[in-house]
Amino acid sequence: MSELLSHLAQGMGVVFLHAVQWLGPVPIPMNVVFCLLGALVGTLVGVLPGIGTVATIAMLLPITFGLPPVGALIMLAGIYYGAQYGGSTTSVLVNIPGEATSVVTCLDGHQMARQGRAGPALAIAAMGSFFAGCVSTVLVAALGAPLTSIALLFGPAEYFSLMVLGLIFAVVLAKGSVLKAVAMVLTGLLLSMVGSDLETGAGRMTFDIAELADGIGFANIAMGVFGYAEIIRNLELPAESRDIVKAKITGLMPTRKDLIDSSGAIARGTVLGSILGILPGGGAVIASFAAYTFEKRIAKDPSRFGNGAIEGVAAPESANNAAAQTSFIPLLTLGIPPNAVMALMVGAMTIHGIVPGPQVMTKQPELFWGMIASMWIGNLMLVIINLPLVGVWVSLLRVPYRLLYPSIVVFCCIGIYSINNYPTDVVISAIFGVIGFWLVKHDFEPAPMLLGFVLGPLMEENLRRAMLIARGDATVFLTRPISAVLLAVAMGLLVIAALPKMRRRRDEVFVE
Amino acid sequence: MSAGEYPSPTGTRGSSPGPAHSVAGGSTVAVLGLALLWYSFFVPSPMVPRVIAVLLTLLGVGAATGRIPVRSPRDFYGGAVLVMLSTLALLACAELPGQRGFAFGPGTAPRLFSIILAALGAAVAVGGVFTEGPPIERYKIRGPALVIIAILGFAAMVRPLGLVPTTFLAFMISIFGSTEMRWVESLIAAALMTLGCVLLFVYLLALPFQLWPRFS
Repeated sequence: MSELLSHLAQGMGVVFLHAVQWLGPVPIPMNVVFCLLGALVGTLVGVLPGIGTVATIAMLLPITFGLPPVGALIMLAGIYYGAQYGGSTTSVLVNIPGEATSVVTCLDGHQMARQGRAGPALAIAAMGSFFAGCVSTVLVAALGAPLTSIALLFGPAEYFSLMVLGLIFAVVLAKGSVLKAVAMVLTGLLLSMVGSDLETGAGRMTFDIAELADGIGFANIAMGVFGYAEIIRNLELPAESRDIVKAKITGLMPTRKDLIDSSGAIARGTVLGSILGILPGGGAVIASFAAYTFEKRIAKDPSRFGNGAIEGVAAPESANNAAAQTSFIPLLTLGIPPNAVMALMVGAMTIHGIVPGPQVMTKQPELFWGMIASMWIGNLMLVIINLPLVGVWVSLLRVPYRLLYPSIVVFCCIGIYSINNYPTDVVISAIFGVIGFWLVKHDFEPAPMLLGFVLGPLMEENLRRAMLIARGDATVFLTRPISAVLLAVAMGLLVIAALPKMRRRRDEVFVE
Repeated sequence: MSAGEYPSPTGTRGSSPGPAHSVAGGSTVAVLGLALLWYSFFVPSPMVPRVIAVLLTLLGVGAATGRIPVRSPRDFYGGAVLVMLSTLALLACAELPGQRGFAFGPGTAPRLFSIILAALGAAVAVGGVFTEGPPIERYKIRGPALVIIAILGFAAMVRPLGLVPTTFLAFMISIFGSTEMRWVESLIAAALMTLGCVLLFVYLLALPFQLWPRFS
């Protein structure tokens, strides 16, 4: 316990004491500034309709590349929960979920807004998120060390099997066809192999195109598939009529009764979210749905749900925030991104020269603990900054999409161009925009492709190493016990997901 | 085939796609299969990809002539494209050395993953023959095309013209993708966006961009 506290103190130290004399003699804690900036920018873009969390982070990725690594990751994490937060604001006020995780918040949140109680709904969402963030941050810190020490015992064979398990988990828990998602993972793996071979330096699948010799840039794929494809997709849809709550938001503070009603829901949502968030896949999405359903089931009067019950806002908002936070656990300890957002984080780390995995905690403790501490600070900032700023965010919603999307397009273009100053990078991202659009038309989810792309080099390296150590004997994955168990669990998951009964239940969960 | 008409899983097969659609889609698959077959004559030891290319061509011909019913076009064509992609990958790394002794060569892993992807893609495509599914949504051309033209235009202009004119022009091109474009408003927004991006990227982030056209 004392070790945990000292680690957290170290993290706080990284965040607060890393001061730079930037403007005159007053030292400014730069990491706090990055955290604040990330939270603000994340909320800003998250509020804008038609841009989800993944697209937001993909868009803003290039502007963090010039920062020092710790600052960049703190800012990206800030963007992440900022965007989540912004998503719930639009759910309450406009009935457009900014992201899949706040879909259920619409149900009761928007009803509350219609009854003139938008203020309390937003306040409870923020408080619930903050509470969940605090609890899960401690959980991340507590689980970090033991999980890392387990992961350090892993050899290449175990690591490869673990990655297979992680990918299968992500695929089974996400929506859509499992078969297609596995196919997408493999597409991502293949795409990651374009370019020079890690060991021999031979050019692979480059078709003698000089620009492909270094491989396909991670940011190009992310921006194309999530940024451009989403814009193109939105342009196809008919202009929706936005049901903005016109009434002025008065009385931000929830009443004493609201607080009492929602405190239980917040606690239950936090527990549920923390557990589900550790699992790879759509952790945060499932968490918010599960928390809402659970509240409805244990409520004395379930009919209040859907008509502005405050528990229906408190529980899913706490759950999705807790899950968002604990989804950092597999990334920081095992180096395996559990979802598309974490895959973007891996991309950002790699660009800063950090190999995600168990060695991060031992080799770069300031990065590890600084990031964890910044999560807590970021959550606090979101509560403090955003509640008074709700009016500003609402006015942002009046910006019409016809002006918004060209801005996003040029912003993304400049962002990609800024990474290497290569115009070809912009062309590649455009190609991936078209590919992403095509994928959506054919019911393929792009997220597993990104996961496969990010994990590709690591998987291949460990596969090759394991085979070399085992002298070319492929049964090594089944004869080493830990590896065999991991693969068996992966197979079991696939079989369970393929069973007709489970398939129907899975569909129900995602349709709801 | 009317868009939005979703065949129910339990319903009759009344809404199977019309012949025109299968002809276009099927012949595209067949032509691409032939292209892959042609490519396979330029690489060493192409037995596996060549067989897949022949199968793809036959599949396309079957779909175009109606011998193979395409019940779920999204799955059928989606799976077929994945098979094509893996065949292309197999051909592209045909010259790479494979396993030597106990060590993987550079070509081993790509070939391994390509073959798995080909199998999965085939499974998806076969699923599209045997299960009912919704038709492929119609593609709207205007919005997507203008956004892509704007991005490609950005790539083409940014070196010779510099950041300021390029940002402005790319904004103006992409805004035509919307049907509700208004001139005055758009010009103001484009100017503001250009200004904002220059401030952010050039002054705040201090990135070395060339701002104006270079005359030399």
